[in-house]
Amino acid sequence: MSNPYEAIPAIILKTFDETPNIRTFVLKPEQEIPFMAGQFIELTVPGFGEAPFTPSSSHFKRDILEMTIMKVGKATGALFGLKPGDTVGVRGPYGKPYPLEKFAGKDIYIVGGGVGLAPLRALFLALTHEIDKYKRIYLRYGARTPNDIVYRHLLPEWEKLPKVDVDLSVDVSDEKWMKKVGVVTCLMDEIPCDEKTSIAVVCGPPIMMKFVNQRLLEAGFQGENIYLSMETNMSCGVGQCRHCRLGPYLTCKDGPVLTWAQIKDIENPFV
Amino acid sequence: MDPFLLSSSQRNQWLSKLLERFVVYVPIELEDQVHWHRLKPADLDSGADVITPALRRIRASEPVKSFMFAPREQVGAFPEKQEPTESKTRVLLGVKNCDLVPLKVHDKILTDGEFKDPFYIARRKNTILVAADCPVPEESCFCNLLGLTPYAGDGADAVLSVSDDGYLFEVGERGQELVRVAPELFQEVGASDARVTKRDTERESAVAALSRINPQPLSPDLSAAVAVRRKDESFWQRHAEKCVECFGCLMGCPTCYCFLLYDQAKEKGLDRTRVWDACYLAAYARVGGGANPRAEFVKRFANRFICKFSDFKTDHGMYACSGCGRCFKACMGKIDIRKVLAEL
Repeated sequence: MSNPYEAIPAIILKTFDETPNIRTFVLKPEQEIPFMAGQFIELTVPGFGEAPFTPSSSHFKRDILEMTIMKVGKATGALFGLKPGDTVGVRGPYGKPYPLEKFAGKDIYIVGGGVGLAPLRALFLALTHEIDKYKRIYLRYGARTPNDIVYRHLLPEWEKLPKVDVDLSVDVSDEKWMKKVGVVTCLMDEIPCDEKTSIAVVCGPPIMMKFVNQRLLEAGFQGENIYLSMETNMSCGVGQCRHCRLGPYLTCKDGPVLTWAQIKDIENPFV
Repeated sequence: MDPFLLSSSQRNQWLSKLLERFVVYVPIELEDQVHWHRLKPADLDSGADVITPALRRIRASEPVKSFMFAPREQVGAFPEKQEPTESKTRVLLGVKNCDLVPLKVHDKILTDGEFKDPFYIARRKNTILVAADCPVPEESCFCNLLGLTPYAGDGADAVLSVSDDGYLFEVGERGQELVRVAPELFQEVGASDARVTKRDTERESAVAALSRINPQPLSPDLSAAVAVRRKDESFWQRHAEKCVECFGCLMGCPTCYCFLLYDQAKEKGLDRTRVWDACYLAAYARVGGGANPRAEFVKRFANRFICKFSDFKTDHGMYACSGCGRCFKACMGKIDIRKVLAEL
């Protein structure tokens, strides 16, 4: 019987600094982790702890896992001290993937904030890999300053993709910034897709999710079409320990992505 | 199968035989409380210190889950692997129904889901459960309010009742192992034996005693009743007021199964340990960035009831409470769960 609490080794192939406190780690696990966009893995920094992260790479290329991680606590602090060639542990995949079958033939309106673009990138790559299946992909992304934008080297390429529409904002600009200034909802004054049928996917800090969700509802998006990445404390990742309870859900098992229709009755879902 | 009788005079002989093959735990009385005790051959020698299992008393202070779901256990290592260790089969002699039912709660979480806990499963398989009737309920008992009986339904390998002249056993398939260690000591009695009739009468009077202790039935649908109160903080606050956040209720609870995995570095890699956790702890739901959906204690207090009576019932078809009463026996604030449930 396999042991669900145990990680397998993964070697750090390379790292890339996205911003001063966000870094992308390219990992090669000993065995392939068969994840789908939206699912997460538990990442162990040996000796320092374990935390859940959603891969940001494409699920069509599973021999490596790219994880874009912000330095916030003990485990991520230690992770930032590791170098290519060092070993970490991974277990998973856990949770439910984005239901891509429900996205087929529709406009997909993706809204990200800060490091929240990381899991959305896995979704974006999965969608653009089979772009014929979807109507059009809108990506709206906001960061605090131009220096806090993740995937800066990739965004210009994404803008050029067919059937893809990208728009960016920063809360505080610098002299070189040519796009919008303001929180990410400033990109949502006009939503160029059919609100009744389109899919919205949101990931970012809780306060950003709260206001983006509110804006989407005002615009007419249906609760069951708004997909929100819910951040909760997780320990086991496998639906047992109950740390991640959110209303009647365990985000590790039922999430981490839940629709607004699922969580609308929960008191303060965005804490 | 007809019941077996083990006469009182042969009890210690049988227990000695059991000890040759199994590790045996029995409930014993220490001062006024009942505690699990690992039986040693010396306990059975005639003399002043001879152990008598306290089988007619209520459940022991320690929940039976501790035997399968250890309070602290290494469940992983890295980069090498950790596996359950083989050990001698254990017999728990005298498990009360309010400890038997909670094992179903753990089974649902740790063995029935997509991810299975090999450590729990190994211990569960490695344990023979002998239930014992609970003929003398105490003030803290309330299994009746949750639709349970003071004697085992299913889930035990054998069911024992203490009769005037010995132990009366009903054995299931696995329970036969206990008879097989010394079949000559057992005598088959018919289903119409006077001892069986007396046992049934005692069971009825235990049920009647519970009705006297807890005369008012609770809401027939506690799940819905708790759900209605989900966001009613003033209700929970009223009951949480006297809580000193000692977590005694959670540590003694036979159904609570929350845990935390934590890692300890070693020279190369790590050991991963699972410890019981407590949803009353402020840090329990706090995320890495510091946000906490249940920062106020009243939310954590409500969470315990939501988990046990609403979520577990919805997800698994049963309450995660068996009415054992350990939570308020342990409570320094004397918060009686029955009162909270009655006022829902």
